[in-house]
Amino acid sequence: MNTSRFFLAGILGVNLLGAAALPQATSNQAALAKQSSIVFAGTVSQLGATSFAGVPKSAQTIVVRVDSVLKKPSAVSLKRGDNVTVEVKDPSTFREGTQATFYTDGWIFGSGVAVKELGHEFRAGSGEAPKPGGADEKAYQQTQEQIGDQELQDRLKSADFVVIGRVTDVHRWTVPKSGVPQRVSEHDPDWHEAVVEVQSVLKGAQVKGNKVVVRFPARNDVAWVHSPKFAKNQQGIFCLNRDQTSGMSTEKVGGRQVTVYTCLGHGDSLPMSDAPRVRTLLKN
Amino acid sequence: MKVLAAFWLRFLVLAAFVMIAGFVFVRGQSPAIKVVDLIPASLSGETNQDSEPFLAVQAVNPQIMVASAFTPNPFSASGNAPVYISEDGGVTWVLSAITPVQRMTCDITHAMPTGENHPRGDLHAGTLACASFITLDESESNDVSASAVMNVQSTRTNVDQPFVRALGISNTDHIYIGLNDFNQPNGHTATVDVSVDGGATYKSVPIEARKTSGQDGPSVRPAVAGDNTVYAAFFGWRKFNGTVATSDVVVVRDDTGGAGPNPFQALKDPSDKLPGRIVVQRVSIPWSNAATLGQERVGSTLSIAVDPNNSSTVYVGWADHGSKGDIYTLHVRRSTDRGVTWSKADLPHATIRNATNIALAVANNGTVGLLYQQLSGGRWVTHIVQSRDAFATVQDLILASVPANTPAQQFLPYLGDYDYLLAVGNEFRGVFCANNTPDLANFPQGVTYQRAADFSTKTLSDGSGNPVAISIDPFYFSVPVKP
Repeated sequence: MNTSRFFLAGILGVNLLGAAALPQATSNQAALAKQSSIVFAGTVSQLGATSFAGVPKSAQTIVVRVDSVLKKPSAVSLKRGDNVTVEVKDPSTFREGTQATFYTDGWIFGSGVAVKELGHEFRAGSGEAPKPGGADEKAYQQTQEQIGDQELQDRLKSADFVVIGRVTDVHRWTVPKSGVPQRVSEHDPDWHEAVVEVQSVLKGAQVKGNKVVVRFPARNDVAWVHSPKFAKNQQGIFCLNRDQTSGMSTEKVGGRQVTVYTCLGHGDSLPMSDAPRVRTLLKN
Repeated sequence: MKVLAAFWLRFLVLAAFVMIAGFVFVRGQSPAIKVVDLIPASLSGETNQDSEPFLAVQAVNPQIMVASAFTPNPFSASGNAPVYISEDGGVTWVLSAITPVQRMTCDITHAMPTGENHPRGDLHAGTLACASFITLDESESNDVSASAVMNVQSTRTNVDQPFVRALGISNTDHIYIGLNDFNQPNGHTATVDVSVDGGATYKSVPIEARKTSGQDGPSVRPAVAGDNTVYAAFFGWRKFNGTVATSDVVVVRDDTGGAGPNPFQALKDPSDKLPGRIVVQRVSIPWSNAATLGQERVGSTLSIAVDPNNSSTVYVGWADHGSKGDIYTLHVRRSTDRGVTWSKADLPHATIRNATNIALAVANNGTVGLLYQQLSGGRWVTHIVQSRDAFATVQDLILASVPANTPAQQFLPYLGDYDYLLAVGNEFRGVFCANNTPDLANFPQGVTYQRAADFSTKTLSDGSGNPVAISIDPFYFSVPVKP
């Protein structure tokens, strides 16, 4: 897979460039990068300090001047020269002037950014900041791809079924009168059902009749904004779980009672182009 | 030389004055009125629909405030949903992920009484998490600036629209959470969760006494006066056909902070002697969970406010179908005898067409404030109205007038199913949501942006010079109470 090759090449590049500073670490670095939402290289400028009001100052907070940003969410404004507050695990490890790559999670966002350290790597003696577009950045861009894989792998693990299929029908689910109590709320999901013709089962047992019913919220309410919506003839990869949300876990199809599934999470419906990636992740 | 030195001294003093004045009159803002976009500078790249705002002000130290909206965690889909925190009276705000809900709430309200003497708390929140089941968490933070995740004190499923009010009494926080509780029997879903021990325990009190269509409307709104009088307003749904709710607007009252054996039964309606005074009977309320008023949905807009120093005076406002050709009309009525009788008609200047998100508050001097958002001429216009004489005469300020057709809706609600107004000393403070185009013409009272914005080109950027699309942002405001 290209992504993996780039990722490995990037990590290798980092190691070759900074072999003295990174004696072990490739797998450690990759794991840290996967966990981190913000990764940057920087130079410690203050100990026991914060970079903006609204962040609780403690012995664990240090201010780091950003030398280069390796990974961040697009919403976050962070660039070279910014001062970031880092709540570190062990403040005794750092001195003013220490240069390191910080693996962090977001913490507080105000006039500046405050983060919590998940890990760090010293950039001992190099005195050089990683340059944008350099090996570090490439490596972390690829690592960022791998984080998507990690989340997807977790999702695949928790799915009862993963199928490749095509939606042959979409209709509103008429709740049986004897079934779920009718409730009127802004968060009413407006349940619809998609009939998915299964072309291939990637996880789970073979499906009887090669069709599954997937119940999904058609409502564009805030409660369901991240849930996939289905359309007729849509083809894709679907991560399915037995329906424990709508209140009725079965449905009559073609005269027989079948189990109904849901597909509620962001990323539970994937394009066909993700098939190789999903297959690889399911093997691991 | 002396003359020259004196000239330069005067010049420098004048220059300094001009600079200071420039800072004070930020973006055309008059010093007494404050309008602030809550999005922090470090999130300048965000384009979320940060709708449905709410606000809590610390009672003892009103410099401390917490605001919220449908703002997702900015760095993690599995991280906690955030709130906005100000420690300087609303001048600056930070975003901190302290709610117990993953990623983004699908309803959140909160209050900060100070019965328990927590200098940067005590924040009590009611949140809905909407992963697969809709789950209510009633939670607490003793220090909102400590960044610790709020402690969940009570949780249950199958409820809607928690609305938190609170009052510190005798070193204890009394908390009142109005909600539509589908767990209640007989369709009596209008409920107030009452805690008189700072949230350690909650008691769910159904406040509907009449036959319903199977449930009440989503909005259940408490209001608390300083003398321990608690009111609650709700929509008693008598009939529902899928698109219109035929509803009573009902007000209940409790004189002992909801702590007695039969809470919220102090008011009886003369028509049937049942608890709950019917303010208006069988009004038609359109129910549309789709873009109906501009890009906004309609169906349940309700507010109640009590004079903090005279609990006999109470205002209630709601929206219904109104007159022919109108989509959604706001109404405000008043009682001056503890909810026993109500004005027979809307108060003057208080029938407002094609408007929503009504929020009422009463200041210490008896001035009533009315916040609402009206669709007018293709724009969402946010008003704050004040009156000392039950709206016979009013002072009406427009806080924002923004295009209603942009940005495109990401989900519903577009602006929110509610906004919020509070009286704090000699100020009305509140929050509303609006299109965030940095255009001074859209904010007649002026505005301050924390996020990167260029008012000359009317564009947003990510802080590194890259353009950022227009979106819906939450705005905090403060206006002086009319003397």
